[in-house]
Amino acid sequence: MNWLTTLWGEEWSEYNAWELHWAPEAWGGTFAFLAVLIVLSLWFFWTSLSRIRSPWKKLFLYALRVVTLFLVALTVLQPQLEFKKIQPLKNAIAVLLDDSKSMGIKTFPSEKPRGHWVRRAMENNRSYFEKLKQSYEVDFFFVSDQIDSVPLANAVTAYQESAVNTDLHQVFLDLTKHYEGQSLQGVLLFSDGADLTQDVPGISPEFTQTLTRLNGPVHTFQAGDNQGFKDLAIEKADAADFGFIHQPLNIEVTLSARGIGKKNIPLVLKEGDKILVSKTVSLKKADDQYTAELQFTPASLGKRIYTLSVPVFAGEAVEVNNRWSFEVKVVRDRVRVLHLNGRPSWDSRFLRETLANNPKVDLLSFFILRTLTDDVGATTSELSLIPFPSNLLFSDYLNSFDLVIFHNFKFSPFIDKKNLSNIRNYVEQGGAFLMIGGDLSFQGGGYDRSPVEEILPVRIQSDSKKFLLGDLKMKVPLKLSQHPLLRLESDPRQNVKAWESLPPIQGVNIGLTPAKGAHVLGMVREQGKDIPALVARQVKEGRTLAIATDTSWNWNFLQVGKGGSGRYYQKFWENVIAWMTREPETDPVQVTTDKEKYRENETVRIHFNVSGQDYIPLPGVAVELVMQTLPRGQELVRQTLKTDEQGEGHFEFHPGREGFYSAQVSLTASGEVLSGETRFIVFSPQIEYQKPLVNTDLLQALSKVTGGSHHVLGEGTRFDELSFPSPKVEIKSSSRMVSLWDSWWTYGLIVGLLSVEWWVRRKSGLS
Amino acid sequence: MRFYFIILAVCLQAGIWFPRPVFALGEASKVVIPQIQYRGGNYNPRPHAAESLLAELAKRTSIEVKRMPLFLKPGDGQLFKYPFLYMGGDGAFEPLNEKELKTLRNHLSYGGFLLIDGNSSKPNSPFDASVRRMIERLFPGIPLERLQRDHSIFRSFYLLNQVVGRVVNKPYLEGITTKGRTVLVYSANDLGGAWSKSKLGHWDFDMIGGGDRQRKLSLRLGVNIVLYALTLDYKKDMVHLPIILERLRRVNPK
Repeated sequence: MNWLTTLWGEEWSEYNAWELHWAPEAWGGTFAFLAVLIVLSLWFFWTSLSRIRSPWKKLFLYALRVVTLFLVALTVLQPQLEFKKIQPLKNAIAVLLDDSKSMGIKTFPSEKPRGHWVRRAMENNRSYFEKLKQSYEVDFFFVSDQIDSVPLANAVTAYQESAVNTDLHQVFLDLTKHYEGQSLQGVLLFSDGADLTQDVPGISPEFTQTLTRLNGPVHTFQAGDNQGFKDLAIEKADAADFGFIHQPLNIEVTLSARGIGKKNIPLVLKEGDKILVSKTVSLKKADDQYTAELQFTPASLGKRIYTLSVPVFAGEAVEVNNRWSFEVKVVRDRVRVLHLNGRPSWDSRFLRETLANNPKVDLLSFFILRTLTDDVGATTSELSLIPFPSNLLFSDYLNSFDLVIFHNFKFSPFIDKKNLSNIRNYVEQGGAFLMIGGDLSFQGGGYDRSPVEEILPVRIQSDSKKFLLGDLKMKVPLKLSQHPLLRLESDPRQNVKAWESLPPIQGVNIGLTPAKGAHVLGMVREQGKDIPALVARQVKEGRTLAIATDTSWNWNFLQVGKGGSGRYYQKFWENVIAWMTREPETDPVQVTTDKEKYRENETVRIHFNVSGQDYIPLPGVAVELVMQTLPRGQELVRQTLKTDEQGEGHFEFHPGREGFYSAQVSLTASGEVLSGETRFIVFSPQIEYQKPLVNTDLLQALSKVTGGSHHVLGEGTRFDELSFPSPKVEIKSSSRMVSLWDSWWTYGLIVGLLSVEWWVRRKSGLS
Repeated sequence: MRFYFIILAVCLQAGIWFPRPVFALGEASKVVIPQIQYRGGNYNPRPHAAESLLAELAKRTSIEVKRMPLFLKPGDGQLFKYPFLYMGGDGAFEPLNEKELKTLRNHLSYGGFLLIDGNSSKPNSPFDASVRRMIERLFPGIPLERLQRDHSIFRSFYLLNQVVGRVVNKPYLEGITTKGRTVLVYSANDLGGAWSKSKLGHWDFDMIGGGDRQRKLSLRLGVNIVLYALTLDYKKDMVHLPIILERLRRVNPK
């Protein structure tokens, strides 16, 4: 064939075989039609030559036509010549080692995990595999719901029962894809058959179909058995991802108990070491699945981690499934606001309407409608007035409020002075207190030198003039305009404009100076002096605010009269509620993670954003980052980091193991300790323990469908008797296709032959 | 130190005995009752009504008032300085123009309150017809409805179970309620006539029918209407209900 390759400019030494290819569509109907057409045309042509006397000429013309028709047929059949190099292919055997978590379940009575039998079988049969490799390509894979190739040398040492899911159908789909174009002649599967996807007894029709595409048999090796299997497990706990503080939360728990017998077991819910609720579940011999409902009431806000547990009995196959931890984001259902009004006024009317219409607010308000000197001209029974429940509010239920507002309210004679220290304590322990101005506030309310003054953001100068009347424009400092209280618009410039657009207030309380650590967020300017009108302060765990006017309603009603809207008034009060009740987004130190849940060994990216109490970012400051496990608080990382020019920073954490973690960022700024925290979960699905039993049926069905054999692994299991087909398979390593018809000389010859024929016919007197 | 405590005690006692300050902070916080000065008819047949009511409010309640005669046209932007408006009359008046209607509608829709007081002694006076025409244009589609007996107006300060005025043309109040808030109340019973007191302290108008008791109830209703405008449905809060219902049960055992 050397001459043939030379004809097309190829070296024969590069190939060792050739093959002629025809256009596949030319076969069948087309070819038959073409054959009939050629025979008919030759017959008609022969009859048309009857007028030619010379038999040689007749024969010459007929030969021309035959050659022409042959060339036409060639173009239709599109013949191609393939030069190729072919090599013999080694048949392959795949060895699949199930490394899912269920392989870690103990078998009895040896109390060795199922994976132990796989390791033992691999070690005992090393020589078998070495021998097998002489005739076959032997590939090893760890399988679960995917296949991971592993060299024989590492097959035992790297084997770990850690994969989180078993899906043998997917494994065989991946295997088929992996060996596409190769000669897979057999599979050895080492598994417990605890496939989470196969619900029907045996195997599903789709799985069967996939198996039939394999050439060779699947020999299955069962690791472990169900003899003496004993396990108590929390299979599932259904609880909402979030709950409301002080509102009951339900959890539905599914338990499974196999081989435990008749027992009463406690199901306990804990937060940290504190038991929240427990319930006794009665196990019976006949049942292996139970449901129990628990109810508990979250007492703290934020991401809380709760753990359910049942006792671990001796000889249990799996111990880790006897507990179940879950996270609940506890939020406020509604913000409870106590709004005390010294007297009915337009300011209190508009604020009450705003609070009452806010779906997030649970409002309790009191108006002092009459004083001791008022002459109502009626008996008590003719009045709708009720006694002010002072003691109830300020000694018994004060802590149930998220925010207490004194709106132009003078405490005497309604609140006993000794109860003022309760308000101070309430704030220091995390409460919020707002004093709104007026003639009954600050000095007018007698709060100077009282426990309330200690927590107020202003100090009261009792000997000064008390009020400044007139149209006064509230100004907010530009650098503080992004304070959560002042954020009427998200864009800083628009925000400043929004404040400038508000109508003036018509009076402020004066004689107030900012307390230590307080921030003046709004002021009015009078005779060249700035008078604080809006002052905020962090007091230990709580927050306080002073609004030194009772005419903020101008920002609503008067603004409408000027053609605007009360939008900014509403927004301002939303800000006040959010900031005072310490909504997480109002914390000066914000710590976030890129996700809330991570898989094992995934990298956790922590981002923090640090501002001072005035909410001005702190660039280039040192912060301390502490990573801890929850709920035990084991410290994993303690590192000092610096914020960038935006007051931000990043940290990457590799938790590795499953569990709950917290990231805390803290710093000291202006003598105050600021901190922020976020929590996240690293999980490793426990789904493998939902079907922990060895599935002999599945493994047997697998081998039966493929013509393989089923074995149970034991101490001395040998593979010597296994056999695999060994067909001779060749593989084409290189080739070149050459067209025999698609060339200039084919078409030129057709035209030339027809021209000669035409010329001879003309000379012979034919048309 | 001892001296300080004595002073403090004296101050506190003084606070209890004389808790009312001289004035509220800012004029805007005080309650003023401007009268609507419409065109045509008599917009001020009871010249002392508003001031007399304010005086009663100051005497009976903790509300800070500013007693000054103030008349505002319905389209005046100054209306938005005064959430409570009073409109009296005893005869037909000219329809409000669109600008006036719009201003008044905005005022009432965004927090204002209007008390309309028919000062005629006749039940279906020309003023009544004009008022109904005006309200129909002011709140098209929202009917003027009788206020039910459990409306907060009847329990905002006094517990009331009768609606009267100088006369009792209609023993009920009518009102426009939008988004859960009554923004307009119409009385056809000449409340202003019952309230109106001269500077010398004499009642300006005699009562028709009920005498002193009727005047007392009229004054109480006036106080309640202003208290409702200032506190809205405060008296429907759960904390008040048990006591109010118990007192109402005693007054009216049925």
